[in-house]
Amino acid sequence: MALACAFFFVDAYIPLGVAGGVPYVAVILISLWSANRRSVVYIAIFCSILTITGYYISPEGGELWKVLANRFLALFAIWVTAILGLLIKRAELRIRRLNEDLRKHAAELEAANRELESFSYSVSHDLRTPLRAIDGFSRILLDEHSEKFDDEAKRLFDIVRTNTRKMDQLISDVLAFSRMGRKEMSTSKIDMGELANEVLGELKNEADKRNVEVDIKELPPTTGDRAMLHLVIANLLSNAIKFTVGINNARVEIGAEAEGSDNVYYVKDNGTGFDMAYSHKLFDVFQRLHGEEFEGTGIGLAIVQRIILKHGGRVWAEAKTGEGAIFYFTLPA
Amino acid sequence: METNDRLEILLVEDNTSDAELCLRALKKQNLANKLFWVKDGAEALDYIFATGTYAERNIEHTPSVILLDLKLPKVSGLEVLKRLKSDERTQLIPIVMLTSSTEEADRLESYKLGANSFISKPVQFEEFAKVVADMGMYWLMINKPPS
Repeated sequence: MALACAFFFVDAYIPLGVAGGVPYVAVILISLWSANRRSVVYIAIFCSILTITGYYISPEGGELWKVLANRFLALFAIWVTAILGLLIKRAELRIRRLNEDLRKHAAELEAANRELESFSYSVSHDLRTPLRAIDGFSRILLDEHSEKFDDEAKRLFDIVRTNTRKMDQLISDVLAFSRMGRKEMSTSKIDMGELANEVLGELKNEADKRNVEVDIKELPPTTGDRAMLHLVIANLLSNAIKFTVGINNARVEIGAEAEGSDNVYYVKDNGTGFDMAYSHKLFDVFQRLHGEEFEGTGIGLAIVQRIILKHGGRVWAEAKTGEGAIFYFTLPA
Repeated sequence: METNDRLEILLVEDNTSDAELCLRALKKQNLANKLFWVKDGAEALDYIFATGTYAERNIEHTPSVILLDLKLPKVSGLEVLKRLKSDERTQLIPIVMLTSSTEEADRLESYKLGANSFISKPVQFEEFAKVVADMGMYWLMINKPPS
């Protein structure tokens, strides 16, 4: 570019006329060629028109105003070329930088994902092994040296073992949750009524034992991953059954309403409910709104949310302490 | 190094606690004296192919079953599995993957490479002991080995 400008100033004193404009335009075009070929072609056409116009106004020499007009057009053509070239170069650099950033981010994300995967893998393998040793050897101590322990010592050993069991459950839950995130969906048309009945069949014992009446209303079909949606209903239904323990006339209802292009399904119970002040924590991993009187690690609803979000739906809940809860989720109609 | 008694179980396990728990569970079935324990994949290969420190061993004496952990120092469980299943001399030895992993990918990969069984070690001792004892009984008493 600088070379082209230098050419022009030299040329200003050597009356070469129109032909004089050609070298700098050529130099600029060549320097631009590598940057963006299509723009160079446009600029070349534009400059050619200007130069040819200049040639017709002043075919070598002639009157002073014609020479000046010729010069002016040549100058104009060069500066337009230069400025356009600069702008294009700058835009190109910006795009290249953005692309590089994007590539870098994608690579970083991929690396983070890989790291998470290998993390969850070591969790499954490495955390379980010491846990098995704690549980196993405290059991062996009790079995083989029981005469050395009094009742209090045995009670304490029980606490150790109960907690290894809990930790084992937590690890399994973390793995189930992370596996759900990695899993590919295989979508098909799903009869939600049939699916709900299937889940109820699996939880029937639990429901009967706790004397809970489960009512499945008519459910519109949807499209989604059958195994995942099975898990959603199973989690919500077993929660509903769990939290109606000790309630007279315990009732759970599964139903749905159409809402635009989505179906809104719900699972409603008249159980212990929860305080809406904490509703934002409901779907977080390992968040529990109830104490040890209700078993569980707090992974169920986190998995439910993950699955529904994967299906492009929403999940939320409404409840009142002591009056039951309704869990809603949307899926495509 | 080895008597004429046929070796029945080769346990490939890097974790001492797990190995001891395994041994205790087999002891209850009177199977513990038939077990030989190696601590990593390289040692397992040396043992089976009678190389390195086990060069004196008779390679013909193959174990009735190999209990193979997945994650091992030096040579991983899957690599050991691959080596054994692709070698004519060892490809018929039943191999049981005995691992803490519950990953579907590990299970599929193991079976693809020719594992005969895949067992996830339970954390609870009673369950673990039962699984190991049942497995020992099955592979040594019920199952008929190829040779």
